[in-house]
Amino acid sequence: MKKENKLKLNIQAILTDLLFWIYIFGCASFLMNHWFEKVIPNNFVVIFGIVVGLITFILGISVGRKVFLPTIKTDRKWHKTFWGWSVFFILLITFVVGWNLVEVDLYKLFAKFRNAGGIMGGIFNPNTDIFVLCLSALAETIYLALLATVFAIPLAFILSFFAARNLMPRTFLGNTVYIIVRTIATVFRSIEAIVWAIIFSVWVGIGPFAGMLALMIHSIASLTKLYSEQIENIDPGPVEAIKATGASTLQTWIFAVVPQIISPYLAFTIYRWDINVRMATIVGFVGGGGIGLLLLQQQQLLRWQNVGMIIWLIAIVVWIMDMVSAKVREKLQEM
Amino acid sequence: MKNIIELKNLHKVYATGTHALKGIDLEIKEGEFCILLGLSGSGKSTLLRCLNRLIEPTSGDIIIDGIDVVAAKGKQLRYIRRKIAMIFQQFNLIRNLSSLTNVLTGKLGYSSLVHSLTFPQHKKDTKIALENLKRVGLKEFAEKRTRNLSGGQQQRVAIARALMQNPKVILADEPVASLDPATADSVMRYLGELNKKDNMTVICSLHFLSLARKYGTRVIALKDGKIVFDGTPKEIDEKRFKEIYGQDAEEVEIR
Repeated sequence: MKKENKLKLNIQAILTDLLFWIYIFGCASFLMNHWFEKVIPNNFVVIFGIVVGLITFILGISVGRKVFLPTIKTDRKWHKTFWGWSVFFILLITFVVGWNLVEVDLYKLFAKFRNAGGIMGGIFNPNTDIFVLCLSALAETIYLALLATVFAIPLAFILSFFAARNLMPRTFLGNTVYIIVRTIATVFRSIEAIVWAIIFSVWVGIGPFAGMLALMIHSIASLTKLYSEQIENIDPGPVEAIKATGASTLQTWIFAVVPQIISPYLAFTIYRWDINVRMATIVGFVGGGGIGLLLLQQQQLLRWQNVGMIIWLIAIVVWIMDMVSAKVREKLQEM
Repeated sequence: MKNIIELKNLHKVYATGTHALKGIDLEIKEGEFCILLGLSGSGKSTLLRCLNRLIEPTSGDIIIDGIDVVAAKGKQLRYIRRKIAMIFQQFNLIRNLSSLTNVLTGKLGYSSLVHSLTFPQHKKDTKIALENLKRVGLKEFAEKRTRNLSGGQQQRVAIARALMQNPKVILADEPVASLDPATADSVMRYLGELNKKDNMTVICSLHFLSLARKYGTRVIALKDGKIVFDGTPKEIDEKRFKEIYGQDAEEVEIR
């Protein structure tokens, strides 16, 4: 077993070194192209990377060896070692490439402030005439967030039991259900609500319904994860005790698991609604309706005073939601 | 008296490789008050949990009240479990619920899902639960959440929950290890009463010899997953005690 382990560590070390140097040469090739308009063929980059990576590995001075095979003397200061300098170099070249890719331009930031004059002026001089119009759009946003949360609760509640490791038996069926629910929840959660909104705005048409569906899907996935983690943290004692009375599995869940999770569930759910209100604004931008859509329209019409009004309203609502949800969660903790 | 529990060559090997029970052969007669002695890790908890299959035994036979426990599945396992009540060191009550609801959960093995969800509507169950709470001296705490009760009170609620099962056997896993000496004795007194008055068979793991002598009718000692002593409490002298607990052990007296 020791031997296998050593082989595995060696392979990890070599692969690290190869990727390390291919990346460095890749960055170098990008900079050559960017600054001097000299094109270096991709296979040159890969070959150089592999050669240098192998040489450093064989000489025993590489980063891979340092990380996976601690054979290098560790008492030396990093700036007296080759791996230390190569790490320094890779960080430096990453920063330089990043700077160029992002097109950082300090001149534009400071000298072209005037361009933002319109929107800044709008914020400090909002158009109060559209207040009522905004309120109705805002109500749309808040209610779509609320509905998305409400619809997500029962589904996530049920799914969370099947995504909790301590409740799923370690049989084939138990493991399969656990892995499937977990994987779907993770995949759906990693797709941003804004992407879901694009999908649903095509599916059911632009408007608050599309936004609601987008937030609902995202909420189900993320509440399932939060809820199931809560279940995994419960005290296993009562579960054992209820099982010992001869209760069925469902009775055990209802009497031993549910009472332990109900108050953290409520706290998470309120927090989720708070997040959903914020996300509902963004989702509105891509066809989810509500205040986000209104903001997009006004911005495209360059009505900066209207935009200012909308920004103020969004900020106030988010601020209030934040406070209310923090207070409620605080109270729930005391329960 | 007939045997209520029969164990034959019971083994338990955990997934981690720990061999917790190494061939336990044991017969327990109806109405006995068995004390399990032994160091932590000697297999006491594993043995108790094998009896109601909270832990799956690796091999061997368990017969309780004439039923093969190891072979039992589904409904039959529920039927066996409700006849075997269990009491735990950490009480294992549902802390957010009232004492009364906690006691009612003792009835779960007898109830359908719908019935158990509407417990408060069933006057008969509630009446029995209140009687059981009264029996352990906690009638006025019925509506109180158990998290607000003291350790001794919580363990008495757990006893009331066990009573609700109307069990033939009570398994107690170090029921007094988290309690102060005075409370410990009162909890043991309730177990002793159930044993004498209601003729329930009790198997109780303990660390205090004084309590073992006071309440036990039989002492079984485990060491490294094997039975190293089986006799009456009186037979345990200093030499035997050191055999069970190791040469450095000194008996701690509590009264």
